[in-house]
Amino acid sequence: MDSTGQNNLKRNKSEKKLLRKQIKARNTLMRHEGIECVSHTTQNLVVANGGLGNGVNRHQLLRLVEECGLVEALLMPPNKPYSVVKYGSTEEAKKAYDTLNGKEITLEDSDQNVTLYVNFVEKVHWEDIIPISLPPGLMMVEELVSPEEEQKMLESIDWTENEVIQNAQKSLKHRRVKHFGYEFRYDNNNVDKDKPLPGGLPEICSMLLEKCLKQGYIKHKPDQLTINQYEPGQGIPPHIDTHSAFEDEIISLSLGAEIVMDFKHPDGRTVAVMLPERSLLVMTGESRYLWTHGITPRKFDIVHASERQKVGSVTPDVGDLTLNRRGTRTSFTFRKVRRSPCNCTYPSVCDSQQGRQREEAPSFHDSETEASKLEQEYVHKVYEEIATHFSSTRHSPWPQIVEFLRTLPKGSMVADVGCGNGKYLGINKDLYMIGCDHSQNLVDICGEKKFQAFVCDALSVPVRNSSCDACISIAVIHHFSTAERRLAAVRELARLLRPGGKALIYVWAMEQEYNKQKSKYLKEKRASKGKEEEINTDVAWGLFCDQMHDNGSQDSACSDRVLNDSKDKGGNAKQVINSKLPVHTNRTSFHSQDVLVPWHLKGGTNKKGECVKALQLPAGSKELQEFSPVFHRYYHVFCEGELEAACKTLDCIRIQKSYYDQGNWCVVLEKQ
Amino acid sequence: MKLLTHNMLTSHVRGVRPGGGFPLRIQATEVKVNNVDFNQEFVARMIPKVEWGALVEAAESLGHLSDLPHELPPEYENNEDFLRKVHHVLLEVEVMEGILKCPDSGREFPITKGIPNMLLSEEET
Repeated sequence: MDSTGQNNLKRNKSEKKLLRKQIKARNTLMRHEGIECVSHTTQNLVVANGGLGNGVNRHQLLRLVEECGLVEALLMPPNKPYSVVKYGSTEEAKKAYDTLNGKEITLEDSDQNVTLYVNFVEKVHWEDIIPISLPPGLMMVEELVSPEEEQKMLESIDWTENEVIQNAQKSLKHRRVKHFGYEFRYDNNNVDKDKPLPGGLPEICSMLLEKCLKQGYIKHKPDQLTINQYEPGQGIPPHIDTHSAFEDEIISLSLGAEIVMDFKHPDGRTVAVMLPERSLLVMTGESRYLWTHGITPRKFDIVHASERQKVGSVTPDVGDLTLNRRGTRTSFTFRKVRRSPCNCTYPSVCDSQQGRQREEAPSFHDSETEASKLEQEYVHKVYEEIATHFSSTRHSPWPQIVEFLRTLPKGSMVADVGCGNGKYLGINKDLYMIGCDHSQNLVDICGEKKFQAFVCDALSVPVRNSSCDACISIAVIHHFSTAERRLAAVRELARLLRPGGKALIYVWAMEQEYNKQKSKYLKEKRASKGKEEEINTDVAWGLFCDQMHDNGSQDSACSDRVLNDSKDKGGNAKQVINSKLPVHTNRTSFHSQDVLVPWHLKGGTNKKGECVKALQLPAGSKELQEFSPVFHRYYHVFCEGELEAACKTLDCIRIQKSYYDQGNWCVVLEKQ
Repeated sequence: MKLLTHNMLTSHVRGVRPGGGFPLRIQATEVKVNNVDFNQEFVARMIPKVEWGALVEAAESLGHLSDLPHELPPEYENNEDFLRKVHHVLLEVEVMEGILKCPDSGREFPITKGIPNMLLSEEET
């Protein structure tokens, strides 16, 4: 064939690839968002991979789309991997279509590349935006201090005091904390009221507090101060400040950078509140006693693009949202220690009125039976159904776990609790490893591989006390739905260990990006390693891929898949999805610690009698299996420090090592 | 399920008195004998972790005791002959089908294709 012919062939190939990807994007939008794309030209375009949810900020996208014509509106829904552009005319929209479809761009904020896929849509309707009001009792005061005062206050903090603790916090990448007036104790979330700290509150704060009193922001002078410093990526889990510890008014000054704080009502309502630099947040009443507040550990917040409403709640006005990179924020939180029991009007969340200390906000369910039922529905049943497919995506052992096993002494007795398909049971032939898992189907796979394994519950492992030299529990404990059960699982591991024995625990981290390194789960996968071209290369549309944790498997198994969709047939979408649990969008950061994560099944379920129909599309396109069912698995993703804190409550073990590995928080425990 | 594995397993049914769930009685309907490479050091290191009495009992119930002594001989580490016998019993005899029975409660756990199912119901935990 002459060179022209060859070039033609090449062009056709890449054209075909682009068309395939574009079609895939259309289908995903339909199934996931109910957005119907059309083939004729309209004024409206949907830009897949051009969304806030996959790291594209408004500024960058606006520049791109404005080049093609007059933009009437750019709608960027928060946390979605797409946006919608409305042009003044269909001609302009067509121009944009030709220009942007298949265009590769580099994200401004992260140097990652994504490819945009564009389709026409008919009218896209967005609800009228009702401004969201702040939680009752919450008030914001802007510019409470001047930039000079801000600088002085930040400089006045002596972080070098108590170096041992500071170093420990540093190595664990915790936010930095300092207390004045009274020591705040994190083990019971209360104050040692009988042991005031010498020195009281720093002198530099007195003028500021006088101002607050005079202006009426607070009625009583605080006697406790906690300084928190949040680097980008750090946060604090949602909580209510202990009722019995502090009086009603709690004020918090934000210095150094702005940040978005999330407030959540027990009924599920959430309000995102922007705290500008040098502003004072005043929490009283319902906002102090009933709503939880927290800061999601992430590097970007979703904020209003326009200058209006720079303070207050972040309303979901998709016409006005963008990403805001975080800076280092230091908060000065002033509180008054409570001397009498709390008698608020919110007894359900009040530790004084409950008669005991509550450490966290009310969890979304309370009883053991409910926990067990949830796990049965959203963990055990699911793994039984997806076992074969799941196993096929779990073949690359993780290096640090392999290392742990390889360094164990020859002849060690090792238990793998939650062994799944037995990935780690054959790593070190000098060990005697026994695996156990709740899923019969997965354990059967271990048996087929000639490993020693049995079926049991991780909360009740039928193995003698102190009989193991080591245990591993990889990606297991995050499936337990209460803190008590998660702790009980750790206790079981400790029980199995002989004194001096070691346990290695891995749990999924909320923080999927750590130390500027995205976890493999978030990173885009390049088509390479000799695999087929259709392999999805884009971050957001790796939404298809829920084979997290296993790098090597993603390329082959990662191909065309549909996003989770409550309209899906099959899977456990038939069941009423627990309305209090958010469904996570794969390959994006976590916005909540308790989530349902979709699994898109390929190849049919393990359950007999159920038949999964795969609709084969025309030859040449290895496109969607239209009816692949979706299963939802429950996860409690761990915040930084959470696993360690839980382990610390056990006397029988001590933490030997604690680290972050590819989207997981990990500990090595030693039995005392 | 090898006999070394069996030696680690205990019944965890609620109400069983401490230690009363061990050792589980084996009722085997299918036993397989494999060839496993002998590693003297490995076997010697396993012995201290094993409940010897339970091992002997289990091996006997399967008819695979061979001439394994009922008592652990002193200084077995270099006794290759003895260690080979232990190796056989611990690692080469496998129960493929059968039942494990809790000595205290009588609860039965099935073994299928070499895999015991020790899952308890809600009431039993």
